Amino acid sequence: MSASQPEAPAARRPRWAHLLAQNIGLELSAAILVACIIAYCAVFYAQQQRLPGGFEVTSTVNNTLPLVLAGLAQTLVVLTRGIDLSVGGIMDLANATGAVTLGSSVASMIGWSIVILLIGGACGLVNGMLVGYGRLQPILVTLATLSIYQGLAIRVLPQPGGQIPEGYTDFLANSNGPWGLIYVGAFALAWMWFRRTRLGVAIYAVGNDPVAAAANGIAARRSIILAYVLAGVLAAAGGLFLVASATAGDATTGNGFVLTSIVAVVLGGVSLFGGRGSGVGALMGAFVINMIVNILFFAHIDPLYQAFYEGLLLVVAVLAANGIGLLVRRRG
Amino acid sequence: MAMRARPLLSREQWRAVYAFSAAILLFVVGEIVRPGFASGNGIVSVLVVASFVGFVAAGQCFVVLIGGIDLSVPWILNAAAIVLVTSTGGSDSRLLLGLVATLGMGAVVGALNGIGVALFGVPAVVMTLAMNGVMEGLTLGLTGGMTCEACASYAPPLVQAAVHGRLLGVPAVLYVWLGIIVLVSFVLARTVFGRSTYAVGNSARVSYLAGLPVGIVTVSLYALSGVFAALAGIMLAGFGGQASLGMGDPYLFQSIAAVVIGGVYILGGRGSYVGAVAGSIVLVTLVSVLLAMNMPDYGRSIVYGVIILGLLLLYGREEEER
Repeated sequence: MSASQPEAPAARRPRWAHLLAQNIGLELSAAILVACIIAYCAVFYAQQQRLPGGFEVTSTVNNTLPLVLAGLAQTLVVLTRGIDLSVGGIMDLANATGAVTLGSSVASMIGWSIVILLIGGACGLVNGMLVGYGRLQPILVTLATLSIYQGLAIRVLPQPGGQIPEGYTDFLANSNGPWGLIYVGAFALAWMWFRRTRLGVAIYAVGNDPVAAAANGIAARRSIILAYVLAGVLAAAGGLFLVASATAGDATTGNGFVLTSIVAVVLGGVSLFGGRGSGVGALMGAFVINMIVNILFFAHIDPLYQAFYEGLLLVVAVLAANGIGLLVRRRG
Repeated sequence: MAMRARPLLSREQWRAVYAFSAAILLFVVGEIVRPGFASGNGIVSVLVVASFVGFVAAGQCFVVLIGGIDLSVPWILNAAAIVLVTSTGGSDSRLLLGLVATLGMGAVVGALNGIGVALFGVPAVVMTLAMNGVMEGLTLGLTGGMTCEACASYAPPLVQAAVHGRLLGVPAVLYVWLGIIVLVSFVLARTVFGRSTYAVGNSARVSYLAGLPVGIVTVSLYALSGVFAALAGIMLAGFGGQASLGMGDPYLFQSIAAVVIGGVYILGGRGSYVGAVAGSIVLVTLVSVLLAMNMPDYGRSIVYGVIILGLLLLYGREEEER
C-alpha cells in the first residue's frame, strides 16, 4: 500500500473521470453484460456458423422484459433498505387476472391493464403500510404477502389457461421484430428521469440514512410506502409482459422471479444495504441473467447441470465485479 | 432514559414466549376444528414435522445471528438425503461412513458459503443462492435426475429408527431435537464461540477491532448451517424412508420465517434458538390446523400469510426509530 500517505491536493479530476468513478457499479454491470454478450456470440457462432440475428435479439428481449420489470421493482424497494419477496406473487396475480379478464376488445384490454396495474399498486401499498406503519421487517412482510398474493392468484386462475388476445401479445411481446428494445430504452430513460424527481431523491436519501433524511425534511415513511407502491405497479406490469409473451396465463410462474429479481439487482450494482445503485443497473443485470441461460443453452450443457453452471457463473460474475471494483478504487 | 431494573425477560425472550403461546393457541383452535388434534398423538405428530423445520432453523439461526442468511439449505438438505442413501446403500454396516460423508458434505458446502461471504465479500443472499443452484445442478447431474441405481436405496434401518422409534411413547426424533436444542442453546449462551457470534452480529467491525476472529466465526457459522441442513436431510430420509428430488424446497422460507417469528433479529445480534424452535412449532401447527380445516390450497396460502402477518403485528414490531 504505497498510497497510504495523504497526497497533496492534486489538480481537480476532470469531470468525465469523476463521473466514471461515481458510477462504478453501473459500469461494472455493463462490463459483465458486454462480456456475456461476447461469450454468447462466440458459442452461438461455434454452433451455428453465424452471428445471432434479429430473431435471437427479439426472443431475448421478449424473454427478459418481465425480469427487467421485476428487477426495477426490486431496485426501488432495495434502495430503501428493504427487500420485496412478494414481486413474484404480484406478478402471478397480474398474470392470472390478465388471462381471465383481458378479453378481445381494445377498450377492455386497456381498461383491464390499468386495473391490473392498480391492483399491483394496491398490493405494494399493503406491503408499504405494513413496513412503514406496522414497523415490521420487509423480508417478513413480503414473505407473508407473497403467500397471500399467490393464493389470490390461484383463486383467480386455478389451472393454467385463459386466452391472451393476439393484439395484446403483439403490443407487449411482438415476436416479429425486436420492438421490445423500445421498452428497454423507455424504462432506462424513465429511471433516469425518476431518479431526479422529488420522490426519487427522497428514496435514495431515506436508503442512505433515514434519520438524516427525516431531519432534512424528507417524509421518510411516505417515501418508503410510495417505493413499495411503485414496485407493486412495476411487478404487475412484469406479470402482464409475462402473460403476453406466454399467450396464456399461469398463476405459478412468478415464483421464479422472487430470487432472480434480487440477483438482477445485485448484478446491477445496487447495494442491498440501500441508498446506492441504479435501476439501469438492475435492467442490465436482468439481461446478464438471461444471457447466461442462453450461453448455457448454446454451449450444449447437460440440462441437468444447468443450475450448477448458473450458480457458478453468478458467483464468478460477482467476484469479478468485486475484484475490478477493488482495483479501481485502489488506483483512484 | 432513567436507570431501570433489568427486565425479567428481554424483548427477544418475550417474543419467544409469545410464539410459544401462539402455538398453544393454535393447538386449541385445532382441537375445536377437529377434536383429537391436540391429543397426545396429535401434538406429537405435529412436533415431529416441526422438528425437521427446527433442524434447518438451527443453522439458519446461526447465520441470521450475524446478519447473514442461508438460501442454500434446500439443496444441501436434498443432496444430504441422497448422499446418505447412496453411500450406505440402505445398510447399517456402512452407516458411520454415510453419516460422516453426509454431514461432512454439509460442512464443506456451508464453509464454502462462509468463505465467499467473509473472505470475498459476496453478499450472503447471492453467495448462498448461487450455492443452492450449484448443489441443485450437482445433485441432478450426478444422479442423472435420480435415475441412478443407488438413488433408490432406502435409508438405513437405524436412521429410520432414529426418527420413528419410540421411547416412552415419544418418537426418537424428538429426543434428537431436544438434544440439539440443549446443545445449540448452550453453545450460544455459554461458550466463547457463542458470545463471539452475538458480538459479530452486533458489529462485525467492532468485533474485529476487539480482536475477534470474525472471518473464522463467520465461516464456522455457515459451515454449521450446512451441517444442520444435512442433518435435516438425514432425518427426512429416515422419516420418508427414501430420498426424493425437491424434498428440501419447503424448508427455505419456513426456516427463515421460523427464526424470525421466534424473535431472532433479522439484521443480527439478538435472539435465541429456543425462539426459533417456537417459531418452527407455530408455523407447522398453523399449516396443520389449516389442513385440518379442509381448506382449498389457495385459501390455505392466503390464511397462512394473513396469520403470520397478524402474529408479527401483535409482537414483531420494531421500535420507533425517532
